[in-house]
Parts: sequence; structure tokens; C-alpha cells
Amino acid sequence: MDAYIKIRGLRKIYTLSNQRVDALRGIDLDIERSGFVVFVGHSGSGKTTLVSTIGGLTRPTEGTVVTDGVDIWKLKDRELSAFRNRTIGFVFQSFSLLPTLDVLNNIVMPVIFRRNGTIDVTALRDKALSLLSDLEMSHKVNAYPSELSGGEQRRVAIARALVNDPEILLADEPTGELDIRTEQEVIDIFRHINTEYRKTIIVVSHSLSWIDKADTVVVMKDGQVRTDVQDPVQALMGEVCTG
Amino acid sequence: MKILVLSLLDLVRRPRKNLMLVLAIVIAVALLTSLSIVSTSANTTILEVISKTGHTLTVRPVITERSADDITSDTLTTSEVVFGKYIPEHIIPEIERSYDKAIKAGWERKGGLVARPGIGEINIEPPTWAPRLYGKTSLDGNPVIVTGVDFYKEYFVRFWWDLASGEWPTDATRIRQAGENEAFIGGVLSQARGIGAGDTVTVNGTPFKVMGVLQETNSADDYMLFIPIRAAQRMFDKAGYVSLLSVRAMCPNCPVGDAMVELNKTITGITATSQLDIAGVQFEFFNMLYNFLLAVVTATIFVAVLSIFNVVTGSLYARTREIGLLKAIGASRCQVLRIFLYEHFALGFTSGAVGYLVGIGMAIVLNAFLDIGAILRVDSHLLWRALALGILCSVLAVFVPALKLTRIKITETFRTQWET
Ligand SMILES: Nc1ncnc2c1ncn2[C@@H]1O[C@H](COP(=O)(O)OP(=O)(O)OP(=O)(O)O)[C@@H](O)[C@H]1O
Ligand SMILES: [Mg+2]
Repeated sequence: MDAYIKIRGLRKIYTLSNQRVDALRGIDLDIERSGFVVFVGHSGSGKTTLVSTIGGLTRPTEGTVVTDGVDIWKLKDRELSAFRNRTIGFVFQSFSLLPTLDVLNNIVMPVIFRRNGTIDVTALRDKALSLLSDLEMSHKVNAYPSELSGGEQRRVAIARALVNDPEILLADEPTGELDIRTEQEVIDIFRHINTEYRKTIIVVSHSLSWIDKADTVVVMKDGQVRTDVQDPVQALMGEVCTG
Repeated sequence: MKILVLSLLDLVRRPRKNLMLVLAIVIAVALLTSLSIVSTSANTTILEVISKTGHTLTVRPVITERSADDITSDTLTTSEVVFGKYIPEHIIPEIERSYDKAIKAGWERKGGLVARPGIGEINIEPPTWAPRLYGKTSLDGNPVIVTGVDFYKEYFVRFWWDLASGEWPTDATRIRQAGENEAFIGGVLSQARGIGAGDTVTVNGTPFKVMGVLQETNSADDYMLFIPIRAAQRMFDKAGYVSLLSVRAMCPNCPVGDAMVELNKTITGITATSQLDIAGVQFEFFNMLYNFLLAVVTATIFVAVLSIFNVVTGSLYARTREIGLLKAIGASRCQVLRIFLYEHFALGFTSGAVGYLVGIGMAIVLNAFLDIGAILRVDSHLLWRALALGILCSVLAVFVPALKLTRIKITETFRTQWET
């Protein structure tokens, strides 16, 4: 059976004014449906570039990303937008909520850009509220992002990522600036989403706590996936210590 | 929640962000609106003055230098009223012929009759010539200027005449039938002598019934007693003579000036003057002033709009991060563009409406300041123009930078800061 996400021969070359950076140097990778994948690797190894390419954010120079049978980089802007809207839920490292909207409206925002199907406002509101209560954020429904802590903002971002019921939850260092306790809470939420709703989870993180929870750990180095790693924790530690 | 709501929420939550844009558009729209209101109002007012008085041609007896020596106590000339000098009635047909010829020739030269086939036959109504005979005599023992007129023709030529009190013969027939012993009295004279409508006055031994008091027109008419011209000719022993002839040109844009030149050239013993020139000069001066102001304002607005573009581009770039986020969660380029267009449509609409209101206020002030007595007229199409201008400026200002920015790579936007 084919993998849910099939990455083949993926390359990304950034050309700055006079130098070129080979961020991805030919990556082949399969990700199974409902998997929990954590990408690790030293800084600049291409993790962000890779997951951005999977999420439809960064166009690769070469190679294909086939998700659920669709070669996403062959889609037109509208279709690709719809793919981002319906199939992917993003949680970004730094806070990424619209400062002009309150928590509830930030969560329902992706629904606005849905192109087909009518919006059932009450159902949508109920869904947002139930997500918030899952994330223990019910008391902050009408707060604005500037009134929230980093961990709370992260939870709102997770709720927003889930509102369109996407197949894939994609997070680039979702616990970057959080303390260990809050990080643990966020990891538990992701795990819960993975087991409860069978979503595919793709996370970039340096943190050992994430590696512990992952089904698969992908170690990256210099724009390539290291296949020779037996113990990713060991490998990561090695990278951190030597690198 | 729709995209439109998203746009509006952003405006409501960050009202100060667009203050510069709104201010610039409000000022631009207000300037243009007020200028337009004042100029059209003033033009209409001046044109009304022209149509009331300016198209009148007045024919008076010529005052040569030699005859100026003759001026005695009986021969008195003011700018409006000439005593002791007369035009014989038998030359009136000649004056009329000469006038008609000049008007027709003028029209044809301007192409009025020949070069505008769409209009067809232009119907030039026969002009009405109103004669006057001035005389000085006493009224109940006091000196007075008595003016003999043909009531029907006079009313037609001076159609702005109105009655302050008394009974105006409302229809032409009644005026025509005004009796030999009926009179009208100027407003000032009526007050000075305490003579009102219905009174009977004795002039030179002849009794006249005052039918009405004329409203003041700030002319010599205010000081006169008007009686039928035949009665006046008898009273002053001037049968076959008139002091003055007025004619009201009855075609649009009549070449009254041509007729004036023609009359002065061909008929001896008279001098023709046209009042069109005064109002016309005023009109032209005002148009010049208006065009000048319009040029200044337009240039200013052009510069202002250029700086609006910069301001808008700047504030849009500050929202790069927001654009990236919207795209990441599934907004297409087109949808992001729509957010900004809606926002700026609303901004432009509001600014245009506010500018329109401010413009009306400015027009009132400007009109009072100019003091030309124009009655302000606000055309409803000005509102549409104000709204259109506001929306155009606002939407144009955002369109180009937005088009460029929505093309940005999403991951690139995450390197920028959030707008605070
Ligand atoms: N937009 C860009 N333009 C030019 N070079 C880029 C761009 N984005 C990334 N790079 C370069 O590509 C390489 C991979 O970057 P990437 O962000 O994918 O690394 P990373 O593994 O996510 O690193 P980190 O752990 O520090 O986030 C780096 O050398 C980086 O400098
Ligand atoms: Mg990264």
C-alpha cells in the first residue's frame, strides 16, 4: 500500500544575491496516515524547509510531494490554498494569531476561506467552544491574543489548526519558547489528537520530550535524512554536543 | 463570519492606523466639493442676473458735447435718467429693423442658425420694445419724476418687477387695459410721501389712482411715479417723443453686443448700451478664478494622493506577517486581496461621505466670505462624485502594493515582525 505522504527526490535551493543554499538535497520519505512524526536535526539542517514543503508553504526546486494521491505542487494557487485550508492545520513557533480578533474569531478564521459548502454558524461556534474546552481554554473565549500567555496562545493556535478538521497537523517548534510544564501539556494535547482523532502529526522540535512521544523520528543533516541512525536520541545528543 | 466582516473588524480594531489616508481623502474631497458647489452656485446666480438685466439693450438720445452745454435746470442727466432730450417716435421702426438685422447677422456669423442642424429653425421671438418718457413735475405740491410707460411692454421688459402692495394686474390683458388714469409708484417714493395702493394722487392737476407699490429694485425706478405714456406725453407736451427705449433680447445667447454696435453706427441721435457686459465680465472673472483655484487644488490633491500611496504601501508592508498567516491557513491570493479591497472600499466610502459633508460646510463658509450673494445649490450628483473619488483614491492606493504583497512566499513572511 502507498504511504499517505510520499516525498520523492525533493530539493530546495535558495538563491540569495550571490550565493546558493542547498537547503534540501534530495529527500525520499514516506509518512503513514495517523503517524506521529518528529523531525530533529541541528539548526540549518532543513527541517523547516522540509515541513513547509509538505504543508504547501514553500515550493520545492525539484521533486514531488504526493499527499493522499495528489501531487500538491502541481496544484494551482486556488487549489493549493484549499489544500492548506482543508487538509493541513498549522501551528507555528512564534505566536501567530491575528491581534485584531478575539480568541473565538481567531479559531474560526480558516472557515472563512473555505470555498465550498455553506457555513453553519451555530455548529461552527459549538465546535470552536468544544475545542477550547478540550484545551481547557473555555474561560478565554472573548480574550484578545495580547491578553494571553505564550502557552495559551499556542493552545488557541492548535484549536484553530483543528477547526477545519484537517488530516494533518503540522507544527514547527510548537513549544519553542515554553517552559517544560507547558511544553508537556502541549505534547499531551498533540498525542491526544493523534490517538483520539487519528490525525497525522508532523512536528519539528529539538526537544527530547517530543522524541519520547513520537512513532517515528526523522533525523536531518545538511538537507538530507539520515538513515544510518539507530537511536535518534543518541544521534541528536551527538549533534548537539559536537555541533 | 465572512471576509467582509474580517475587513471591517480590522478597521474597527485599528482606527488610528488609517487616519492619514482618511484625512487626506476627506480634505481632497471636501476641497473639490466646496469649490464645485460655490462655483456652480455663483455661476447660476450670475447667469440669473444676466438673464434678468443683462440681455436688456437700452437706447437713449445722444448727449453731444454741445448739447451738454445746453443743460439747464430742465435738462438733467443721471446715469439712468435723461431729461430734456428725446427720441422721436418715428425713428423707432428704423431702430427695430436695424436691431433685428444685427441679431440675425450675429446669429448666423456665430453659426447659430446655420451650423446647428440638429436644432432646426431657431425661433427668435419678436423683441419687445418698451418706451419711456421722463418728466419732472409736482406731486401734491412736491417735485417728482413722472415716467410715462406702456404698462404691458414695461412689465414684459422688466419682468423682475414685483409689487410690494396693491393689485398687480396679473394677466397681460389686464395690464393692457390699464386705464389712462391708473398709476404705479416706486417703493421709496411711496414711503417718502406716504402714498399707498388705492390712494389717488394729483399730478399737474390730473388725478391718478395708484394701483400698486413696486418693490424696491435699487434703481431710479424706486423714486418714480409711473403713468401711461400717452398721458405723460400730453402732460409734458411731448407727443411723438420718448426719452428711452428698452428691449429684452428673446433668444438664448443673443448677440446683443452686435446689435448695440450696429445701432450706434447706423442711427444718428441715439446711443445704445447693453447691460450684458457688466454681468458678463463678472461671470468671466469668476470663471477664471474658479479655473485657477481648481488647478491649484488638483495639483495639491495629486501630490497628496502620491503620498497616500506611500503611506498605504508602508502600512500594508507592516501587515506582511498577517498576509503570510492568512495564506498559510488557506486564504488564496484572491481572498487576501479581497480583504484589503473591502477594507479600502469602506475607508474610501466613509472618507468620501465625510469629505462631502465637510465640503458643504466649507462651501457655506466660502460663500459667506466671497460675499457675492450666491444662493448655494447642492447637486445630488456631487455626493456620488465625492464617494467615487474617495473610493477610487483609497482602492487604487492599496491595489498595487496588495497585488505585489499577496504574491510573497509564505515562509518569507514569518521572518518579519507582527504589526503592533
Ligand atoms: N528564505 C530563505 N532564503 C535563503 N535561505 C534560506 C531561506 N530559508 C532557509 N534558508 C537556508 O536554508 C537552510 C535550511 O534552513 P531551515 O530553516 O530549513 O533550517 P532548520 O533546520 O529549520 O533550522 P532551525 O533549527 O534553526 O530552525 C539554512 O541554511 C537557511 O539559512
Ligand atoms: Mg526551523
